[in-house]
Amino acid sequence: MTALDSVPTTQRPMGVAPQGPLDISDDDLVSCVACGLCLPHCPTYRVTGLETSSPRGRIAAMRAVQFGGAPIDTVFERYMEECIQCRGCEAACPSQVPYGRLIEGARQALHERRSHDRRRRRRLAEWLGYTVILPRHRLVIAATWLLGLGQRLRLVPRRLVPRGVALPLVSLTELRHPLQPTAPTAPSGASSGGPSTGNPTNAFDAVLFTGCVMDAWQRGTHRSAITVMESTGAMVGLPGPGGDCCGALHVHAGRTAEARRLAERVIASMPGDAPIVVDSAGCGAALKDYGHLLGSPEARAFSERVHDFAEWLAPRVDRLAVRDTHERVVVADPCHLRHVQRQTTPVRSILAASHRTVDTDDDGLCCGAGGAYNALQPDLALAARERKIAALQRAAGGAALTDFRVVSANPGCLMHLMAAGVRAVHPADLLAEALDPEHPRWPRDAIRPEPSRHPGSTP
Amino acid sequence: MDATVPDHRADRSFASPSDAELTRLVADLGVALGPDRARSDPLELALYARDAGVASGRAAAVCFPRTTAEVAAAVQTARRHGRPFLGRGSGTGLAGGATPVDDPVVIVTTQMNRVLEVDVDERFAWVEPGVLNLDLTRAVAHLGLHYAPDPSSQQACSIGGNVATNAGGPHCLLYGTTQAHVLAAEVVLPDGTVTVLGGLSPDQPGYDLRGVFVGSEGTMGIATRIAVRLMPDPPALRTLLLDFTDVDAAAATVSGIIADGLVPAALEMMDADITRMVEDFVGAGYPRDAAAVLLVEVDGLTHGVDDAIEIIRRVGTANGARTVRVAADATERNLLWKGRKSAFGAIARIAPNYYLHDTVVPRTRLVEVLRGVYAIADEQRIKVLNVFHAGDGNLHPLLVFDGREPGVMERVHAAGDAIIELSLSVGGVLSGEHGIGLEKRAYMRSQFSPDDLHVQAGMRDAFDPDGFSNPHKVLPAGSRCGDVQSLPEGVWV
Ligand SMILES: Cc1cc2nc3c(=O)[nH]c(=O)nc-3n(C[C@H](O)[C@H](O)[C@H](O)COP(=O)(O)OP(=O)(O)OC[C@H]3O[C@@H](n4cnc5c(N)ncnc54)[C@H](O)[C@@H]3O)c2cc1C
Ligand code: SF4
Ligand code: SF4
Ligand code: SF4
Repeated sequence: MTALDSVPTTQRPMGVAPQGPLDISDDDLVSCVACGLCLPHCPTYRVTGLETSSPRGRIAAMRAVQFGGAPIDTVFERYMEECIQCRGCEAACPSQVPYGRLIEGARQALHERRSHDRRRRRRLAEWLGYTVILPRHRLVIAATWLLGLGQRLRLVPRRLVPRGVALPLVSLTELRHPLQPTAPTAPSGASSGGPSTGNPTNAFDAVLFTGCVMDAWQRGTHRSAITVMESTGAMVGLPGPGGDCCGALHVHAGRTAEARRLAERVIASMPGDAPIVVDSAGCGAALKDYGHLLGSPEARAFSERVHDFAEWLAPRVDRLAVRDTHERVVVADPCHLRHVQRQTTPVRSILAASHRTVDTDDDGLCCGAGGAYNALQPDLALAARERKIAALQRAAGGAALTDFRVVSANPGCLMHLMAAGVRAVHPADLLAEALDPEHPRWPRDAIRPEPSRHPGSTP
Repeated sequence: MDATVPDHRADRSFASPSDAELTRLVADLGVALGPDRARSDPLELALYARDAGVASGRAAAVCFPRTTAEVAAAVQTARRHGRPFLGRGSGTGLAGGATPVDDPVVIVTTQMNRVLEVDVDERFAWVEPGVLNLDLTRAVAHLGLHYAPDPSSQQACSIGGNVATNAGGPHCLLYGTTQAHVLAAEVVLPDGTVTVLGGLSPDQPGYDLRGVFVGSEGTMGIATRIAVRLMPDPPALRTLLLDFTDVDAAAATVSGIIADGLVPAALEMMDADITRMVEDFVGAGYPRDAAAVLLVEVDGLTHGVDDAIEIIRRVGTANGARTVRVAADATERNLLWKGRKSAFGAIARIAPNYYLHDTVVPRTRLVEVLRGVYAIADEQRIKVLNVFHAGDGNLHPLLVFDGREPGVMERVHAAGDAIIELSLSVGGVLSGEHGIGLEKRAYMRSQFSPDDLHVQAGMRDAFDPDGFSNPHKVLPAGSRCGDVQSLPEGVWV
């Protein structure tokens, strides 16, 4: 006789009301029919071939914990932490299993448990990163500046940089110069080193969200975004104080309470009803999810205002005077744009006049960057990147990495790819390069009132 | 009918291993394959307890070989420890074929995923079993070639699994199932030795053992390399969507088209609920208010395709089609197919569980069988959705339910039994493509006489005289005729 009592079950025992330890909805959890159609869209499954690193497997493991009495142990923790949270599975799932919600719930349970027994060193490091540095923009800038300096002095210890995840050189010049959109922005209390803060009211046609890490590392891209947006005739504002860290990394790490606090700060930093434009796909996805994170009508209204840079630009692209560069660029859709925000057409249409975009044949499989993932799970992140690079090269007709550029609208992906020698660039930078300097910018008056959010883009 | 089991060893049972035995087994597998490629953590094993069907069992260990030699070593190690074994690809099977029964060693082929050789002139490829069906087509697309069998799960299922289940798909109506596209297979036999069945030339002398192996559902060993036929892409290809306000009219159109002498490349039908559901997912422009739709594809030379479109339009309209839409371009065509191929997966939009049958009935009887299926479901108060390969009469009635509802399984099984009985009574067969596996084996007696089963058991015994390869699958257990509940011990639905 085979005793099944000891087997953690991945299916829901019939007629048993569950009292599971994970804060996730039962109906969400049973909605996976185990068809496996998501498997090929999961980067970690693709590189390992293991059910334990697949969406179906992770959901089954959650079920085993929730319904089958399996313990929340280090094995379960590993399965959950190996997930990049790229949500390729969610976009591919015909049953529309809300995988993002499931994994965030599981991560939250892990975080709560870890608060008790995680090794002290790691707990301290996490606290420093998530609670002290990220929410304080000046600290992010300062840390970045130190890193940049350290990079030049070759002081960054190898030990601190996970194998193969070499960081691109931080631009110290950029860091010294705050962002400065064209008047009438009256920077109120802009401090050197911090982001310049505008007055994001209806005086502006759009507010550019600058984020924390992105602002520190890729301020140049923000500059390009502002230039391009202004060339359409728009008056661009910046967030007020508190409008920096969006809390995406906190949500991923299961630190939901902190994420909620950050979200409230961000919302308060951009009052009014001007569209909010985000040039980092990860931040954009987070901002668009505030409605769900906070559950309040104000948060939902705020999320409605959020647009990815390309999404905002696409209906206005005719106003740009660009020259045709004839350059072929391979598009690497960031997961948070493709799978979460479900925006793939805009980036291709905004580049149509200036570049020839080429697609990969991998259904937008994740490159492995995933926020802090590449630092936490370097092996899987590197394997996923290797696969991505092969797809990029196939798309470029087998060209050498040095011979073509790749366009991606997420700082995490850009850095992860650049660290492997890919010439990755943000679409805003590509467009800024291609702008015709002779041509006058579109007159502001001609564009009011602002076109409203185009249909179909609401999550 | 004689209810005794034909004497075969495939139904042999294996006692559960002790903890000490398990530890030794995993240690030895680790020696054979490398320690990180043989595992037995309880949570990990639980993730290998089932495929996409409903039955779940339990594995003793799971391992991930990368070469033929490693597969052979895993098989030999399992045997040495007195454990059965089981090949597993992507685990998208719908009949419990990859559900581990009697604590077997699960040998997973996902890390054997290389396309080894493509011969453009002779149009064949050697692939490892873990290569995904759609990946293969994509890998040869730039050569103007494709792999024809296209199960709806093609993005996820493996060629090894396709071979083992003799998978079909929409385009098998014209091009034949996997059977017709496998030239040869290198196989680790149940005794751990390696052989090649079939060959590259079309007419192999002697018995067609390749043909026996295709569809053997893992009970005759594990395929480790497969030579598949590649087909040239057709010069012209058009996809049509016909929309009906009445299911009978759609079913009549199916037999009408074929009676007119036309064999389309694919001819699929979806009923009202399924159509709405997939439209919610893909937004391909499927009519939400249709009672049924037909998705028809025709390919070949341009003028032939144009003629075929006219025939379909004429037959459809004569049978009352509301609209006949021809997909304008590849994007529209791909979206329509994506909808059709997402159908099973999209079920959870309606209810969290489904139980699927796969009977084949003569096309000319489709109208009455479909009516019967709806009546059976009504009687059992179970919702049924129909999405199927209409062109070859291969039904896929999906019984959808919520397993949390007490007593629902009994009604699901009663409905399943009745559907099978109905299909067989009009001259149909038990399974078109998903295989028998664990879940359908009790029905084998409804279709085959004891003599038939005896011959099949003899064939299986010839490959696996000691019954180590995927035990308790395909051939029925010694139990009452048609009793689905007769799953082996340790398995539950
Ligand atoms: C949404 C959905 C749609 C589907 N549509 C179709 C369809 O249109 N047509 C169709 O035919 N099927 C369909 N299926 C069923 C399934 O996809 C096929 O049966 C497929 O062939 C299984 O492949 P797999 O790699 O997942 O095999 P698995 O599920 O892993 O295994 C299936 C069987 O093959 C055996 N096996 C696996 N690999 C090997 C090997 N290397 N050597 C020997 N035996 C092996 C296993 O032991 C098992 O018995 C569908 C399934 C789903 C979930
Ligand atoms: S998550 Fe969706 S696609 Fe993946 S196995 Fe579950 S139901 Fe299927
Ligand atoms: S979120 Fe990405 S990594 Fe995680 S299971 Fe889904 S596809 Fe895999
Ligand atoms: S997504 Fe990351 S970088 Fe962007 S603001 Fe949020 S936490 Fe900072």
